[in-house]
Amino acid sequence: MVFKISAFLESFLSAIKYAHVTIELTAISFVISLFLGLIIATIRHFKVKVLSQIFAAFITIYMGLPMMVAIVLYNLIFMTCYPDIALKLHINIPISEINPIFIGYFALIMGYTCILSESIRGAYRGVANVQFEAGYSIGMTKLQTLRRIILPQMVPILLPGMQNSLIGLLKASNLVSAISIIEIMNGALLPSVRYYSYLEGYVAAALVYWIIGATIEILAHYLEGRVGNYNKKSEYKTGRTEESIDRIKRSEEKLWQA
Amino acid sequence: MIELKGVKKSFGKHEVLKDVSIKVEEGEVVVILGASGSGKTTFLRCINFLEKADEGTMQFGDKTIDFKTAKKNEILHVRRHSAFVFQNYGLFANKTALQNVMEGLTQVQKKSKAEAEKIAKETLDWVGLSDRYDYYPSQLSGGQQQRVGIARAIALKPEVILFDEPTSALDPELVGEVLDLIKKVAQMGITMLVVTHEMSFAQDVADKVIFMDAGVVVEEGKPDEIFVNPKEERTRQFLSRIISLEPMYNI
Repeated sequence: MVFKISAFLESFLSAIKYAHVTIELTAISFVISLFLGLIIATIRHFKVKVLSQIFAAFITIYMGLPMMVAIVLYNLIFMTCYPDIALKLHINIPISEINPIFIGYFALIMGYTCILSESIRGAYRGVANVQFEAGYSIGMTKLQTLRRIILPQMVPILLPGMQNSLIGLLKASNLVSAISIIEIMNGALLPSVRYYSYLEGYVAAALVYWIIGATIEILAHYLEGRVGNYNKKSEYKTGRTEESIDRIKRSEEKLWQA
Repeated sequence: MIELKGVKKSFGKHEVLKDVSIKVEEGEVVVILGASGSGKTTFLRCINFLEKADEGTMQFGDKTIDFKTAKKNEILHVRRHSAFVFQNYGLFANKTALQNVMEGLTQVQKKSKAEAEKIAKETLDWVGLSDRYDYYPSQLSGGQQQRVGIARAIALKPEVILFDEPTSALDPELVGEVLDLIKKVAQMGITMLVVTHEMSFAQDVADKVIFMDAGVVVEEGKPDEIFVNPKEERTRQFLSRIISLEPMYNI
């Protein structure tokens, strides 16, 4: 067995060419999931009647659905239902001309909204209740308190988990290859089909994923170092101020005199 | 100025407040005493709607509010004309001392940033923290944090300040600095309602002392009356228990 550098390079370039599909799929799904997850987590945290129960039940059920099954399932549902819907709505585009990428978006967003909403709910619980009360007590509204006090304090709690989820989403986006969307992996395999150079193709795909993943990790670590510095006690070492130490000394002296 | 009538509150089956009524005149310093679990903190939190009372009414300035049907704007009105000092300080962890004091001025009172900063600095100077503007709460001692908490409260120029056991989370050696500051606030003539365990403070500063036990007001009156000649047996028991403990603190 020989590892053909030329085939590898061709696969690598092809993978790079389609990398934007993976990156878009990951980034857009992540941002939308984060937004939806925040809404769901907020509704559940404040125990909004009916809605919070509905979301709780939905997330419990949906979390058990593997991403691959979801993607293929939605694709099948789409293909079965499209002809009828197209007929009713008088759409004349044949199904073969519709890019199934929106199915990928839908499945990824659904799955990751559930996952992220649970992380965000955890972050809500990580912020002390008195932080809400302090906001209310000076007359801020719930929304003001959330925006100015609570959400900024959730960011440092969320960062490590978000980095995890983002890389998870990057890897999950690979599963849309199952519904014949050309992303990094399918892109890398395009030349392999011609030359039968599958080893080179998969290595090239792995390399491109690794580059993107490593970039996310580095960015996240950089952010972690920047955010949440207010918890570090760098300047202050003990709970005692000079004056309080002074006072202790004075009272000790009094005690000795007595 | 503030009058509460028939306040009731239960947590599940446990009735914490059973029909509490009090009246606070303008400029008065009212101290609420009582053993742990007597409902005094819950009562104070109900005034600021941090806890929702089940029944009762509150006359706040010229507004009368029914706790059962309190609307959002009524709650905001009370909160915007009162301030709350928390037992565990309740400073915004993500904001510096200066930003903590400025927050309400800019966000609630809609003052300009420059004006808010000026007021906040003056207030922090007044509580003796002129060298701690840019420190985060985690970098301050308990006593300093509570002084920021008090600065945040008075900077808003509230009609009434509610103190919820402001010194009970502090190391004994830091209690003095905070009590001195609260006395200074009292001398400004702001109406205050203080829940505390500091008897000598109550005796010094209070215009009126209210003794609560098991969710009811047992006795109220001038500090001299309550401390020297308590009418009720329960008050007497409580005071004798506390006062026998007091010397231990003074070591």
